[in-house]
Amino acid sequence: MEQAPPDAPRQLQPAPLEPLGLPDAGLQAAAGEEEEGAREEGPADGTMTENNFWLKKIEISVSEAEKRTGRNAMNMQETYTAYLIETRSVDHTDGQSVLTDSLWRRYSEFELLRNYLLVYYPHVVVPPLPEKRAEFVWHKLSADNMDPDFVERRRIGLENFLLRVASHPILCRDKIFYLFLTQEGNWKETVNETGFQLKADSRLKALNATFRVKNPDKRFTELKHYSDELQSVISHLLRVRARVADRLYGVYKVHGNYGRVFSEWSAIEKEMGDGLQSAGHHMDVYASSIDDILEDEEHYADQLKEYLFYAEALRAVCRKHELMQYDLEMAAQDLASKKQQCEELATGTVRTFSLKGMTTKLFGQETPEQREARIKVLEEQINEGEQQLKSKNLEGREFVKNAWADIERFKEQKNHDLKEALISYAVMQISMCKKGIQVWTNAKECFSKM
Amino acid sequence: MSGGPPRGLPSTGPHSLLDMPHPLAGSSSEEAVGGDSTPSPDLLTARSFGDKDLILPNGGTPAGTSSPASSSSLLNRLQLDDDIDGETRDLFVTVDDPKKHVCTMETYITYRITTKSTRVEFDLPEYSVRRRYQDFDWLRNKLEESQPTHLIPPLPEKFVVKGVVDRFSEEFVETRRKALDKFLKRITDHPVLSFNEHFNVFLTAKDLNAYKKQGMALLTRVGESVKHVTGGYKLRSRPLEFAAIGDYLDTFALKLGTIDRIAQRIIKEEIEYLVELREYGPVYSTWSALEGELSEPLEGVSACIGNCSTALEELTDDMTEDFLPVLREYILYSDSMKSVLKKRDQVQAEYEAKLEAVALRKEDRPKVPADVEKCQDRMECFNADLKADMERWQSNKRQDFRQLLMGMADKNIQYYEKCLMAWESIIPLLQEKQEAK
Repeated sequence: MEQAPPDAPRQLQPAPLEPLGLPDAGLQAAAGEEEEGAREEGPADGTMTENNFWLKKIEISVSEAEKRTGRNAMNMQETYTAYLIETRSVDHTDGQSVLTDSLWRRYSEFELLRNYLLVYYPHVVVPPLPEKRAEFVWHKLSADNMDPDFVERRRIGLENFLLRVASHPILCRDKIFYLFLTQEGNWKETVNETGFQLKADSRLKALNATFRVKNPDKRFTELKHYSDELQSVISHLLRVRARVADRLYGVYKVHGNYGRVFSEWSAIEKEMGDGLQSAGHHMDVYASSIDDILEDEEHYADQLKEYLFYAEALRAVCRKHELMQYDLEMAAQDLASKKQQCEELATGTVRTFSLKGMTTKLFGQETPEQREARIKVLEEQINEGEQQLKSKNLEGREFVKNAWADIERFKEQKNHDLKEALISYAVMQISMCKKGIQVWTNAKECFSKM
Repeated sequence: MSGGPPRGLPSTGPHSLLDMPHPLAGSSSEEAVGGDSTPSPDLLTARSFGDKDLILPNGGTPAGTSSPASSSSLLNRLQLDDDIDGETRDLFVTVDDPKKHVCTMETYITYRITTKSTRVEFDLPEYSVRRRYQDFDWLRNKLEESQPTHLIPPLPEKFVVKGVVDRFSEEFVETRRKALDKFLKRITDHPVLSFNEHFNVFLTAKDLNAYKKQGMALLTRVGESVKHVTGGYKLRSRPLEFAAIGDYLDTFALKLGTIDRIAQRIIKEEIEYLVELREYGPVYSTWSALEGELSEPLEGVSACIGNCSTALEELTDDMTEDFLPVLREYILYSDSMKSVLKKRDQVQAEYEAKLEAVALRKEDRPKVPADVEKCQDRMECFNADLKADMERWQSNKRQDFRQLLMGMADKNIQYYEKCLMAWESIIPLLQEKQEAK
């Protein structure tokens, strides 16, 4: 599988399978005896078996949300929502599922998990979490994190996140992820023990690299532009959609006024009364139908939001590439300059400006012994540098290869998901139109009886 | 509705005309009123010039076409219409073909008025004249003057705020044309108003202005008497049936006002919704340009939203042009009726005052003085006319509103059907499997 060679500590490794014990043991514990059967199935390729193994055997759901109060880091009382994660193993023979694990997690723990994944799998487009705060709301929706509708949509979003991770060929095998699903207590400590925060690239370093890198892979540059534009267009779309929802709400609700006035009017009419009254009722139905319609549309908005946040994940991979490339370029530059220095010392010519050269001129030449010593040091450094450059190169190429493979996988997923989202949006619109036709046909019927 | 046959015999209280079937009773026709009048093709008979000298059913004097106090005229009216089937129409009027006239002093619009009739009052079977709004306004004033006991249909608003509404825009002219057409058709359908001299001249005269100048000097007998009445007499109490009509009209106007406001609000919200949609659709296009496989689906969604936007615009235009004006017209109509009610009150007040004066004189009179009797007649005819008009108005109102509201429902149905079609047509596009890039 895609794991970096397990040598220098400077190398980032996916921590999961090494320091924390045998992965298989953990999986076995969860799956029980069904695992044997699964192992015997499938292709000889170990990777695919284990991948399918996860999907076939495990069902993950975020089934409940609960309000809790507790004390935070500053010992102040706070209210938060906890989510119940249930893992079931499915018997492949009869499809029955057995609850194997069930624990509660809050949003911040999900964030911790994701940050960990970002650090340890920089070549993977890591699935995003649902938004922390409600954005792109139209006026009727609450922007309050405690609002039940928001909590419900967030529950679905968190479940979606877990399913995405579990279905990712690389991420699904991560031990920390596995423990997230199975080990309630102490999980936070376990994650922190990996020391992933220390291994994270600093924002500043990344920004610096973005500006200074000379030869990034063109594909990544294009991908970066794409993800920027995608982010921009989806944001715009979500903002306008929220306004559209607002206006549509207004149109429907004002029709409700017809209900009341028709009723009042019918009171003074003799023959027209009944028709007016019943038509008024249909106007009320029409006005109240918008609530469900817009609730459904929120799911569409959530699907778009996921890809809005995915754009950020794409950018993160590009940034990592730029960082590595920049690192490589710096290392190569450094090596080249050392080699040059060495050459100059050896031949006695000074071609480049150096402080040492300057001071030497001012304060006198150094002794041959001193020079020898310096050459020796340099030669050592050059040797080391060449080794490092070689491994950095290798690392870089590995990264590009793996990252690009995951990006291709992501593109397929994105195209599929967004098409599905558009189809379901069209279906929603069709349903709304049909309801509208129904209501107005009924009203017309009533008017005809006036 | 036909131009005349009386139906039903309402009782208008104990008086000398009780035995006479009243020719102005509302004929509650079941047919849908309004819309285009289809001229009956085979009632074209040439009338000799001499016909005009014959005794006309609505009184001999040109100015006294609606002298309700004359019982013989009432009888004549009844007799004329007796042998005509209620469903046969003998007068058809249409307003169309608006044209703009640019003169040195002003610019204005004229409309073509086409009249087809077999009535004796018309020399020719067919007429085509051009009239402008102020001619309609003149007609209405004349009708109000000469037929004070009747409800005269309303005209569309005279003044428009310049700058806000373009008086010469197609939509405005068309809306006005429809209203003017409705106005004339309502008069045409009225058994008394349609025989009015001024109406006849309006439909037939080549030079209306000349007639207008001539008419200024004359005052109708009835007009005079009504003018004489207004002022000075206060009604003690309105009879129950008229009070009920008054109350009904008040509430009716209120409800219509509310509906007008709601309709306007809906249109406003729909327009704002449209504005957002017009921004929403193109964003999908922008996105489409970024994508490969998703390009066509996204572009499809963009086009679809565009189609829905167009459909919505059509809906709001229709509602503005067809729905709101009719609503407002009925508010004006009910206001007209209320003022006729007030005039009626005046007539009754005068009668009661005169009656009281006679009673107070304590003279032993063998009979009630002639002028008090005339007052009584006037009042009773007025009451009869008003009740008949009210019934007709109620019946027309019912049909008009049925049509109006069904029309509103229809427009909404059409809007949703257009949107439905648009969305259904892109489903196959979205589901299409793309070829390998």
